[in-house]
Amino acid sequence: MRAFRRKGSDYEASFAPEEARLIVQLTEQLGAMLAQPDAADAAVLRLLPDAYPDDAEAAAEFRRFTADGLAERKVLNGQTVAASLAEATAATSATKVRLEEQQAQAWIRAISDIRLTIASRLGIESDDDRPAADEPLGDIYDWLAFVQESLVVAMQRRL
Amino acid sequence: MPDLLEATELEVDRDLDLAEQTVLGSAWVTIVWNDPVNLMSYVSYVFRSYFGFSQKEADRRMMQVHSEGRAVVATGTREEMERHVEAMHDFGLWATLQKADA
Repeated sequence: MRAFRRKGSDYEASFAPEEARLIVQLTEQLGAMLAQPDAADAAVLRLLPDAYPDDAEAAAEFRRFTADGLAERKVLNGQTVAASLAEATAATSATKVRLEEQQAQAWIRAISDIRLTIASRLGIESDDDRPAADEPLGDIYDWLAFVQESLVVAMQRRL
Repeated sequence: MPDLLEATELEVDRDLDLAEQTVLGSAWVTIVWNDPVNLMSYVSYVFRSYFGFSQKEADRRMMQVHSEGRAVVATGTREEMERHVEAMHDFGLWATLQKADA
């Protein structure tokens, strides 16, 4: 992977086919999780947290009015990411991926949601927690941080 | 047609209503909580792009979240704060709202 950088008004990176396929898979898993959200799932609760920490009734009301829309937008973000990687997943060598601002907005949100989900699965709950050295998801978690950081830094220069 | 006195009373009532609404309406805050996952650059970007903070102010609030565990990022009506909280959840940030004096 070559990190994101600005390209005119767009952002461009390069992904190997297996990297692109991995991200697409993760967006699909995120989509499946949010299509039928299990309220008892810690990852779901982190992506759709209580808005009122000390008021269960207001929190339930807020959830009733916002959770479906939030989940829907998160699924859409994942689909936008997957669509922008379609060419890279089908290629046989590293392929440039170019994002317009709106696609980039979907990317940073979707990567955040995927990393939050992985962190929940790995039990990362405090700033001192790190994935176990032999945990393959840990490498993916760190790599996604690198992908997001490069995109955010490029986007920040445009603010 | 109301006489002058009645009209004045109506005005006063309306002013009182407005004052009450303003006082009650500004009594909510949006809080963003620390999490071990989201990158500092990302949190700062969200604060800057969504709330329109300067780079310096966005970094200051991001560091407050990081070091103190939470930061107030907006104050206003309950409805406004609910919109902000929903937007923060869109970004994957852990945000809540509560009364300012709570």
